[in-house]
Amino acid sequence: MADAHAAHGAGDHGDHTPSFFVRWFFSTNHKDIGTLYLIFAIIAGLAGGAMSGLIRMELAEPGVTFLTHFTGGNVDAAHNFYNVLITYHGLMMIFFMVMPALIGGFGNWFVPIMIGAPDMAFPRMNNISFWLYVASGIVIVASLLAPGYGSQMGFGGSWVLYPPLSSTTGSPGPAMDLLILAIHLAGASSILGAINFITTIFNMRAPGMTMHKMPLFAWSMLVTAFLLVLTLPVLAGAITMLLTDRNFGTAFFDASGGGDPLLFQHLFWFFGHPEVYVLILPAFGVISHIVATFSKKPIFGYLGMAYAMIAIGFVGFIVWAHHMYTVGLTVNMKAYFVAATMVIAVPTGIKIFSWIATMWGGSIEFRTPMIWAIGFIFLFTVGGVTGVLLANAGVDHYMHDTYYVVAHFHYTMSLGAVWGIFAAWYYWFPKMTGLMYREWLGNLHFLFMFVGVNLVFFPQHFLGLQGMPRRYVDYPEAFALWNQVSTIGYMVTLVGVVVFGICLIDAFFIYRRKAPANPWGEGATTLEWTLPSPPPFHQFNELPRFDKGDAKAF
Amino acid sequence: MKNFFGAITRLWMGIGVWAALASMTVASAQITPGGIDMQPPNSATAEQVHFFHDVILMPIMVGISLFVLALLLWVMVRYNSKTNPTPRKFSHNTLIEVLWTGVPILILLVIALPSFDLLYNEDVTPDGKQTVMRGDGQAVDFVFANDFPASRMVQRPRHLQVLVDDGAGARVLSSRTDYTTEGFGEPEIAVSLNTPPPAGARVIIRGGRSVDHRGDVTLAPTMTLKVTGNQWNWNYAYPDFGDFDFYANMAAEEDTTPELYLLEVDNRIVVPVGETIRLAVTATDVIHAWAMPVFAVKIDAVPGRINETWFKADREGVFYGQCSEICGINHSFMPIAVEVVSRPAFEAWIDSQRALAGMDPMFEADNVKIAQGSLAGAAAE
Repeated sequence: MADAHAAHGAGDHGDHTPSFFVRWFFSTNHKDIGTLYLIFAIIAGLAGGAMSGLIRMELAEPGVTFLTHFTGGNVDAAHNFYNVLITYHGLMMIFFMVMPALIGGFGNWFVPIMIGAPDMAFPRMNNISFWLYVASGIVIVASLLAPGYGSQMGFGGSWVLYPPLSSTTGSPGPAMDLLILAIHLAGASSILGAINFITTIFNMRAPGMTMHKMPLFAWSMLVTAFLLVLTLPVLAGAITMLLTDRNFGTAFFDASGGGDPLLFQHLFWFFGHPEVYVLILPAFGVISHIVATFSKKPIFGYLGMAYAMIAIGFVGFIVWAHHMYTVGLTVNMKAYFVAATMVIAVPTGIKIFSWIATMWGGSIEFRTPMIWAIGFIFLFTVGGVTGVLLANAGVDHYMHDTYYVVAHFHYTMSLGAVWGIFAAWYYWFPKMTGLMYREWLGNLHFLFMFVGVNLVFFPQHFLGLQGMPRRYVDYPEAFALWNQVSTIGYMVTLVGVVVFGICLIDAFFIYRRKAPANPWGEGATTLEWTLPSPPPFHQFNELPRFDKGDAKAF
Repeated sequence: MKNFFGAITRLWMGIGVWAALASMTVASAQITPGGIDMQPPNSATAEQVHFFHDVILMPIMVGISLFVLALLLWVMVRYNSKTNPTPRKFSHNTLIEVLWTGVPILILLVIALPSFDLLYNEDVTPDGKQTVMRGDGQAVDFVFANDFPASRMVQRPRHLQVLVDDGAGARVLSSRTDYTTEGFGEPEIAVSLNTPPPAGARVIIRGGRSVDHRGDVTLAPTMTLKVTGNQWNWNYAYPDFGDFDFYANMAAEEDTTPELYLLEVDNRIVVPVGETIRLAVTATDVIHAWAMPVFAVKIDAVPGRINETWFKADREGVFYGQCSEICGINHSFMPIAVEVVSRPAFEAWIDSQRALAGMDPMFEADNVKIAQGSLAGAAAE
């Protein structure tokens, strides 16, 4: 059918791929752009991971003893370097690893295919989204190398960029200005990407694929795209105000000029809280498909799953000040944010239980992606329940800015969103590359990561309960034990990352086993499995139809 | 009921291989090396935080995590491709969906009610007051002036405490068996004791809406401590006791013990035990946060703002906290140390600070004692 069509008109360069330079630098093909995003995310992930390695090495024992190696023994410079590391680790992982991987990478690759579209709605805009990201990545590296505090390089005020630490009071050098530019570029890229996703999903679904027949990954990307479009302009506004405060004499956040530092925090978290759902919702979408595929059962409670994501996205907009319980909000305002925040547990619970219900009665095959998905469900639950704890302002006055918070958000992000990325990677790797990987290497990767990352972050709950503040380069003797365990956990995780690299190289160069169109069997029902692996350069010259019979796409 | 919760609390504390280490607390630092639970509380509020965490949140969090784990293990064992080769095809079950929406809401309500109680206890600065009278061996009728603003009036028995101190320490009377009251919500509350207090005994009536976790009425602050965060030290002032202030810098490694390094400072804050201390917190350069885990207090020091919070220490001793909002390269090196002392020791310390600032003593002569400075309530007497 497709071949017959390809002989005429629009589809006549169906299998004609452009030359290398045109293909990868001027790319307008959603799959190629997705691949570029994934490569970008892997590079950023390695950079961000290396930074966390330096952080953990410094914290392995009390005393500032490790980072001084990088500063010629200068202790103040080592303190600054530590702050720079935590700042750029956060920014790298959030803006340059998780978002490009899940949204730019897997989103670009699979949203058009899953909804039966030939490509994204705006292919050229898709291209500029990616290259803005690259520009942003270059600027953030420049910011890392520019003077921030005194003559020391980089901005060391954590990813939240609170003024006055990020204004000329705390960080007079150009590092912060470059960082603002980098975030502007990344934000513009994400806004363009989000517009692209919204347009594609609303307008380019295959005939008969109503919204309520659309795969859950596409739903998750739709909600994510709305969160991005609605919140990133607020962040852009906040950092522009910060930029004018720094350079043009305004005083939006400067108390001595009539401004208020807390205004920035409100604006930042109005973006920042939805942002954490931006990071996790696509992972939710991926996990739904993997659980259904390997249980050989349709997803349980499809509508509940889709609307739970919408509910999480909506409530995500009205809970931001739970990041600010100690800044001096009035008690009634805190009470509101406590109540609103706890509400999020309900749709999240619906998702967790629906995944388990999907597995219930199924015929589960423990292939690598499924192992990651099951790991995700449990670890995200652990991160979720500590989130319910932190929602309570009364106890958050104790926990706020301690390692308890660090443990909580790494359980949801590092063991949640990243677990989703690896699950998606192993799920779609055969589709994207046309190659299989060795199952046991994927399993081994999981094993090391699971043990390692839990060793890193579980003891941090204890440190937080004992009162250890976060963003500390040095700590009292009494905190030594759990910090040491945490650093050992990092080593184990590092072995896991090496196994991941081996698995990747092995799949491409040694194992070289061709992947069938559908390696996962009867449970894999979404459209990408109807295409060959890898899919042709242009797919769906003949659109798939869902308007006959009661065919469903999920 | 209290014993029941106490037993649960102890059970939680006993769980875990590291519990044995909990007894190895470093002298004066409240951090337990290798510890897995919160620092021991030193105020009614901190105790309530512990209760909320240990008795309400922990069982729920652990229960949910284990429940999800058990379900996952069960489906992995029962519904894998070997034990269940033919998958079933259901994808809906209205009852179970209603259940897993409704039950979490109920669980959240169980959390929310004590959570709000705790939050308001922490965040509303106490405004309780006390009246002290003398018994003459016969009088049984005493009056408490209920002169609070309408929203803070004493309205019900739990807002009122009657204590009798016959020289052997104050004893709290029971509102059920020891006295009757009349006039809740009205400008004057009449308290009639069932037996007359002995001649010379002090009759103390405390009233107010600020009732703590233990059922005690918390009195209004007796002093304000002004805290100013700087890069990278703290400045403390005692505006009720004269125009003096001092800086607290981290103690150098050679000036303190290995356990207290990074926690000890050169000039500790000194406050009286058992009295409500109001904190007024601000900063001069960037945002800092004043944190004291044993009181469950953490409040940001924001330039251009004055944030208010309070604490009331149960025990004397030295307690430590650390700056809890990133503030630059020496964020890790501006700790907080509070020395909680008896009232006389506090007054002596105030006078010594005043002497350093070239001021006359405030407490040596009784006639200059300021009214709000004393728990005994000079004005009431």
